[in-house]
Amino acid sequence: MAEPFKNTPPAPEAKGDMTAANIAAALAGESQASQKYLAFADVADAEGYPNVARLFRAVAYAESTHARNHLSVLGGIGTTAENLKAAWGGETFEIDEMYPAYDAVAKLQENESAQVSIRYALKAEMDHQGIYDTTLKGVEGEKDLDTTPVYVCPVCGHTVVGDKAPAYCTQCGTTSEFFKEF
Amino acid sequence: MDEAMEKRLPKPEELNAMTKESLAAAFAGESQAAEKYLVWADQADEEGYPNVAKLFRAISFAETRHARNHLRVMGGIGSTADNLAAAFGGESFEVDEMYPAYHGIAKLQGNNQAVRSINYALKSEVDHKGQYTDAREQVLAGKDIADQPVSVCLVCGHTVIGDVPDKCPYCAAGKELYRSF
Repeated sequence: MAEPFKNTPPAPEAKGDMTAANIAAALAGESQASQKYLAFADVADAEGYPNVARLFRAVAYAESTHARNHLSVLGGIGTTAENLKAAWGGETFEIDEMYPAYDAVAKLQENESAQVSIRYALKAEMDHQGIYDTTLKGVEGEKDLDTTPVYVCPVCGHTVVGDKAPAYCTQCGTTSEFFKEF
Repeated sequence: MDEAMEKRLPKPEELNAMTKESLAAAFAGESQAAEKYLVWADQADEEGYPNVAKLFRAISFAETRHARNHLRVMGGIGSTADNLAAAFGGESFEVDEMYPAYHGIAKLQGNNQAVRSINYALKSEVDHKGQYTDAREQVLAGKDIADQPVSVCLVCGHTVIGDVPDKCPYCAAGKELYRSF
């Protein structure tokens, strides 16, 4: 068993069905743990525990490495063109199926906050779908995007490619100074 | 968090069972999208598409905002003491139940790469369990943990507070492959 201990992520392999299902479940678990810890880090900062916040961020990163390893074993890391197609497919499912269905249930049950959270996500996924579509066309012609910044609203996730952030988020009203620039 | 931002965030609310199920599934979906996009960003960098990489990172951040919003509505964000207890609970489940079961099945099915991916995770979850236990004790006493770097092996996730080892004890990665927080 010396061989597996190399500095590379575990590789894709043909798997038994049960193992494939388990690794997929583990990817879901690690991804959620990572996101929870990032949210918990912000709370720790707000409560005056900067070193606990740092621990949460470090462990969130560790969970990301596990998520990446599981994704690799599942064969989920392709070429950039393939990855953009997969990303577009995921966004499309969320827009066409998942969020409209969830929104209908939350409306029926009059869960107001849930509707806000769903609507924020649904609108931003539409941004993503369009941006991935354009980007894929470029990459299929072996062209990178240009260097224009990408701005993301920290409240609702609204995503804009442009030279500056909008004065107000068109989806939730958050002002430009809070947008995160990439 | 800034008040102007805070007031726009969806608030925790009493949820009906089906809505709760929907949000929990949406949280799982957003979390996985955020992680996938980070990995695909690295791939885009490797292929010489730095601006596509930047886009994947930006959209990953957007998905983390959705994940946080859904988690918040479900009441999944508590005080730090509560959050540490929840984090410890999650790690314990993975260490005591989930990964040993998955490991047993992957071994039985002869899936060596899966075994490796599971082992890496299982070992570092044991680190996390201990670190969260210690942190919770401090926080319950109203104290922060010590001001020391926390370093993570970027191959297997080994997590260490304080000095970085020359070689990762779990995957033998060199010191230079650790990321310090």
